Amino acid sequence: MLIGIDVGGTFTDGVLYHEGSILNTVKKPTVARKLQESIIAVLEELLRGVKEKEISRVVLSTTLVTNLLAAGQEEKTALLLIPGPGLNLRRMNFFPSAYFLKGAIDFRGRITEPLDREEIVEIAGQIKAAGFRTAAVVGKFSCRNSSHERQAAEILQERIPDLRVVKGFQVSGQLNFLRRAVTAYYTAATMDKWKGFATDITSALRKRGLVCPIDILKADGGTMPLEASLSHPCETVFSGPAASVMGAFALTRDNRTSVVVDIGGTTSDLALILQGQPLHASKGAILGGRYSSIRSFAVRSIALGGDSAIRWTGKDIELGPDRLGPAACFGGPAATPTDAVNYLEGGILGSLSSSEEALGKVSRQAGMAVKELAESVVAMVTGRLAAEIKEMFKAWEQEPAYRIWEIINKQKVKADRIVGIGAAAGAFVPALAGRLNCESFVHAYSPVANALGAAVARPTVSLLLHVDTENGTYHLDREGLAGEVSYHFRLEDAKKLALQQLQRIAGLRGIGQYADRYEFFREEQFNIIRGWTTCGKLFDIGIQIAPGVIDEFKGVQA
Amino acid sequence: MKKKSEKTGLVFFPAFDWAISPTHPEREERLLYTRDQLFEEGIMDLPQIVQYQPRLAELKDIARVHFCVPDIEAQAGEAHRIAAGGALVLADAFMTGKIKNGFALIRPPGHHAMRVVHGNRGFCNINNEPVMVEYLRQKYGLQRIAIVDTDVHHGDGTQDIYWHDPDVLFISFHQDGRTLYPGSGFADETGGPLAQGTTLNVPLPPGTTDEGILFVLDNLVLPVLEEFQPEIVVNSAGQDNHYTDPLANMSFSARGYARLNEKLAPDIAVLEGGYSVETALPYVNMGIIMAMAGIDYSNLYEPDYKEEYSKENPARLKQLAETVQRLNYVFSRRQELVAAARKKADSFFRKSRYISYDTDQIHEQQTETLINCPDCPGYLLIESEAVGARQGDAKIFCVSIPLRSCRRCRREALDLYAKTRRQPYEPYHYLYLQDRPADVYLQYDYITKKERAY
Repeated sequence: MLIGIDVGGTFTDGVLYHEGSILNTVKKPTVARKLQESIIAVLEELLRGVKEKEISRVVLSTTLVTNLLAAGQEEKTALLLIPGPGLNLRRMNFFPSAYFLKGAIDFRGRITEPLDREEIVEIAGQIKAAGFRTAAVVGKFSCRNSSHERQAAEILQERIPDLRVVKGFQVSGQLNFLRRAVTAYYTAATMDKWKGFATDITSALRKRGLVCPIDILKADGGTMPLEASLSHPCETVFSGPAASVMGAFALTRDNRTSVVVDIGGTTSDLALILQGQPLHASKGAILGGRYSSIRSFAVRSIALGGDSAIRWTGKDIELGPDRLGPAACFGGPAATPTDAVNYLEGGILGSLSSSEEALGKVSRQAGMAVKELAESVVAMVTGRLAAEIKEMFKAWEQEPAYRIWEIINKQKVKADRIVGIGAAAGAFVPALAGRLNCESFVHAYSPVANALGAAVARPTVSLLLHVDTENGTYHLDREGLAGEVSYHFRLEDAKKLALQQLQRIAGLRGIGQYADRYEFFREEQFNIIRGWTTCGKLFDIGIQIAPGVIDEFKGVQA
Repeated sequence: MKKKSEKTGLVFFPAFDWAISPTHPEREERLLYTRDQLFEEGIMDLPQIVQYQPRLAELKDIARVHFCVPDIEAQAGEAHRIAAGGALVLADAFMTGKIKNGFALIRPPGHHAMRVVHGNRGFCNINNEPVMVEYLRQKYGLQRIAIVDTDVHHGDGTQDIYWHDPDVLFISFHQDGRTLYPGSGFADETGGPLAQGTTLNVPLPPGTTDEGILFVLDNLVLPVLEEFQPEIVVNSAGQDNHYTDPLANMSFSARGYARLNEKLAPDIAVLEGGYSVETALPYVNMGIIMAMAGIDYSNLYEPDYKEEYSKENPARLKQLAETVQRLNYVFSRRQELVAAARKKADSFFRKSRYISYDTDQIHEQQTETLINCPDCPGYLLIESEAVGARQGDAKIFCVSIPLRSCRRCRREALDLYAKTRRQPYEPYHYLYLQDRPADVYLQYDYITKKERAY
């Protein structure tokens, strides 16, 4: 049996899944300050009448890190940057309190300017005096050569032995110094609190008699063991939308193109599954208002939901962006888009008379019939969603491509269907699909698809390998593992090396069974030519276990 | 009307799957380190920058500029059409007010491609800037355009295309043609008889530095642009003036390029050459983007850069001052020069020349006839014969009607095309018509007796 729990901003959802059926679902309000309690409360209900040892996996998707960052509760962290030539970050106010170090590494991983030990010793003194307990050290091109980051961290820790230092190469191997700096900074700043949460939740679950693996859902739609998340807390941000997308993925499981529409109370999240592959954001998740190197799904959030308040401005009908409470048909104070659907469909959702009464108040102000108002509201909601969906497709088509075949082969992809997720999806998705001329897909378990998505998402691992045969070196992201290669190293050797490393890491994480589901998402080979002769090769290999569902998942009976 | 935008548009199309040959300077690796530098810098994440995806230029976009032998498809592969399309995407974004300026970081380059294209010369088949300029004229009605070519090689293709066009100001500064490919671009090349003074060439002595190039910019290029008042300024942004370029001998730095770009303030810059793929391009491209986007570039430098590299030697400065003075004089008297040429000539101007294609090793013999018209820039007739072309030797005849031609000239030119087409024997392999006022482009094949419209 599998358990998935998605801690959302308003509700915490849970499902218990076993061999093709959902045995139990739970929905409880989230208590923001006590996430552990919300999780345990949902877990208790799911476990009712179930033997603990039958549970083979628990997956959590939590907003803890997102909340910490939103509330500005991250730990005070010193950011040390080794920028070398390029943007003048000192004057750009990129991170107001950053320290800048001498030293530079170029795109081939060559040191073009040495570190200045004295300077670092002096900064260590300042950091100590300012009372920082954590620090992040990030150098430009540290994904090609991490020695400057390591040396600087070492000097800091010599001087301040209890300082926790996160190094840029540990959080990302992608080329993007700014995003790596953002990610390393917030990783350092949230690590301690995340560790506290992880320890608490592990002991609570173990105390409850659960002996199974505990996994965490990441922003990219994959899971990782709770243990592995200790060094990468930021990977858990935006796992809520990721849970919904994985839910839609699990409920559909084919190679068609879907728009995932998750309609909540005040906001709606839109995402794309293109020919069976969930689409990732090209720029990475936003942390503290800046792009990071955290891979996440391309999710578009709009301030319009099933509970958005309907008002007459004197000229127009206005929807939201605020929520006054639940829909009138569920005892709420004001008319909402949910009431408009409820009224038009003859009370299929809740109290017809409450919806009619609440809509009546607005329609009298507007001087129109209730039916006319309700129809306008539904048209407005589906109109906004449809417009956003078109924009999403357009944005995807316009994403930069760097090879001829990408441009020639990027045919226009059209949506085959709209997959509704969330409690209010059933009310709007059919009309929206009609408007966009595609199928509507609303599953009986759409309201808890997010928790299902968490329960059945499989682990993901992604690695980048950079090989430079002229320098005779290779560099692996994340762990900063580096080594030597011969001049005769070929693309096939590079791929083999990347695969071995993926298998090793999967083994360490206890997810070895998925290591054979790898795919190469990048295979680049360039000749290094000086004058008219080849003097080496560069390889960039990306290998991953892509998002998907675990082997135990056999679909869901409606 | 144009709305104000604060953004700099960027098309980055490194064509990682296209090369002339595996070890050729124009190969896959060329923009690899530039990509690494731009991506690692994270400059595309800044709010000042908006990245665009290139598109495939239409065949018609190319037909507006070139007479391709045997046809456009043979000369313009997908890579060429995407490179040109990258410039077109930025042109649209600029004209619709989505960007304040734009940089098309594209390859393959184009500024050695002339009107008639039998093959590749100087790594170029299709000339990206003129394709964009003619598109701007047709789609947005622009008339006066300036192209400033800052590549180290003379932009002889662009010069050829606008040689007779008084509405396009073409300024090129480059390493002296006596010491570098293509061996042209001397100060006395100042435009065709009816377009005198709207082509300006500044040959730079080998070794010219930041200071020398900026001297030319300040004392010739900027004042001339001010006087010409173009509706749009295009920069053919070659990067081979750099002190590390393997194919040339100049001493320009990344910061010098940034300064140049900041002063010139082009509306659209299009990458041309630049083959110091590792020691120059990553830094120069960063510099150009930073300058265009108004980003502080004071922390940008090559790892081995030293301040003294920028200083100019006085003898060279003196030489440059003389050239600049001479060209300013020609430019200021351009109308008198055109009037005098018109008066002196008969009903037409004719010139014959030999054109060499270094990359494809083709020999072309060309005769160009420009009709001397008192009311318009006149229409142009080209007879061209090539030996050594991959597709076989070909002889062609082209009729080109400029956008601003008078009705009489256009009528005459259309009649001439029709008459030539009807000839019973086969005087040429192909016959071409470039009717820019009607935006109609025809090609007639004498063997198959088929006419094709682009």
